[in-house]
Amino acid sequence: MPRIYIHPLPVRIWHWINALGFVALILTGIQIRYADRLGLVSFRNAVHLHNWIGFVLVANFFIWFLFYVFSDKIRVYHPELSPMKHFRGSLRQLQYYGYGIFRGDPNPHHVSAYHKFNPLQSTTYQIIMLLVVPLQFFTGLMLWDLERFSAAVEFFGGVRVVDTVHVLCFIFFVGFIFIHPYLSSLARPPSAHFKAMLTGYEEVEEEPGQGDAGRIDTPP
Amino acid sequence: MQVKPRLGSGAYHLPQEGAAMGRSRNQGAATRTRLLQGPLFRLIAALPFLFATSFAADAAESTLSAADNACLGCHSIEGLAKQLPDGEAMSLQVPGDAFAKSVHRLIGCTGCHAGIDLAKHAAATSDIRSLRQYSIERAETCRLCHQAAAEQHEASVHAARARAGNTLAPVCTGCHGSHSVSPRTAYETCARCHAADLGAHSQWLPNAKLHHAVVACAACHAPAALRMLDLRLYDGATNKWVVEKEDSPRFEQMASAADADRNGLDAAELRNLLREINHDAAVTPRTLRGRVELRVGVEAHLLADKAHAIRACDSCHRYGAEPFQNVTVSITRSDGRPLRYPAQREILGSTLAIESLPEFYAIGGTRSVFLDSLFILALVAGIGIPIGHLTVKWLFRKQRARRDRQGRADGAG
Repeated sequence: MPRIYIHPLPVRIWHWINALGFVALILTGIQIRYADRLGLVSFRNAVHLHNWIGFVLVANFFIWFLFYVFSDKIRVYHPELSPMKHFRGSLRQLQYYGYGIFRGDPNPHHVSAYHKFNPLQSTTYQIIMLLVVPLQFFTGLMLWDLERFSAAVEFFGGVRVVDTVHVLCFIFFVGFIFIHPYLSSLARPPSAHFKAMLTGYEEVEEEPGQGDAGRIDTPP
Repeated sequence: MQVKPRLGSGAYHLPQEGAAMGRSRNQGAATRTRLLQGPLFRLIAALPFLFATSFAADAAESTLSAADNACLGCHSIEGLAKQLPDGEAMSLQVPGDAFAKSVHRLIGCTGCHAGIDLAKHAAATSDIRSLRQYSIERAETCRLCHQAAAEQHEASVHAARARAGNTLAPVCTGCHGSHSVSPRTAYETCARCHAADLGAHSQWLPNAKLHHAVVACAACHAPAALRMLDLRLYDGATNKWVVEKEDSPRFEQMASAADADRNGLDAAELRNLLREINHDAAVTPRTLRGRVELRVGVEAHLLADKAHAIRACDSCHRYGAEPFQNVTVSITRSDGRPLRYPAQREILGSTLAIESLPEFYAIGGTRSVFLDSLFILALVAGIGIPIGHLTVKWLFRKQRARRDRQGRADGAG
């Protein structure tokens, strides 16, 4: 089966640090928020851990951001510049996950070096990476030192507003952290996407007439 | 020129030559007086000062009694002091204006100095050996009215240190002052001696400065005391606490009107109260800023050794923590003390708190019940959606197998 190189090294480094970091942030966040119900670590240690991991992930975010800004790989997020086409593609993908996959319909998306995300992924990941994650980091930074960022806290309407936004993002990631790996397991075989995120290469089924899906890429 | 007539064991002296003696120090009228030796004569000598000597007495005239102003006739003289046997100088000057604003102005001078015999004042002999000894003795006078505070103080680390001979350990006047006793925050009181210790908190306490602003010192350092949360009106436009107008107080009336069922303000009632308070506000509304304080202020005397102070974060940062069981909404009175109105503790976790309490939030301690529900929903969806999807996939397995077989057959055909 041909392999294509879809996950460059910086992306893989960013992804796994992000994955482990977000799991740790969620767990320490739960400990901080629900200290009355959970006693894995003390509140103080949970806050310290949460802060440190947060800073690591902020730095890690820039690995992702700078890599895509300064490489042509940013095209993976915008293979299709027509919003309507993108929207229709997203609906097709949603229909596949919600119905076609049960019947055994073929996945409407075919992976290639510059088409590694289906339209639904591309839209979702952009919202997450350019809106939710920065919002999570920014509100977390303000909560880390309310005195230092008091002007910003006031600008956003007070500490409760900042915390509410932070917690809403946290709640989103709690759901995401379960659904994301599940959707990744819908490949054939189920481990294909996980292996690809470790090695950079994804095995693709040869389907003649499916664009550049069968093109074999090499690592840069 | 200083005049220091020796009078028994004590010595009195007036201020430097040329010290202001006019209606006001600003007017700069300098008069000189000499301390006279007989008690009666001294009293007579004091009379002219009643109306013509000190600024302090002048400022206090409107609120202090004639008897108090008589005392201030002498005791407002700048630099009036008594030389003690140990070499210390004990100031006898009383800041009249501060006393007039103090909580003790109503009981007047004789409220605490009841034993003064004008015929013998100032005493030819005095048993005041040192400032420290005098302060300790005066504490017994405070006890006459403040019995509970005195008893709690006796159990405190301050009293223990004092008994052990530590001359820096404060007795009543050490924290409260003598003639200018007024409502002050614990922070203002404690920081005068413990300024360096405040900085030391930052070595282990995250956001130490913020904690000092929103948690009274005694809330942690008097661990035996019960705590509460006071939400006080703050004016963001002026960056000051909102002070109730003395001549037309409205806060209690408004809070009472908002609290229709008289069981403490609930979330909606609090929101309505704030809307009412802010209906004429400028762009920056008046908001509530929270502060963890003691339920019974006098328990601030139960100060423990710092080794026993509360250090566990989850004393507050835990849902249902003790300080958040008792909540009040307050406004600052003109004398600095809070005027409190009870509120229900549920206001802290209400969704409406985002409008009514945007500036107070204790992570974990005042979390929103609505967000908790969303969290559970996200958790259930995160786990349930994959399980549900897998289940439906499993249910459709035969249909997929049939289709696969059909496809292979079509391909072979």
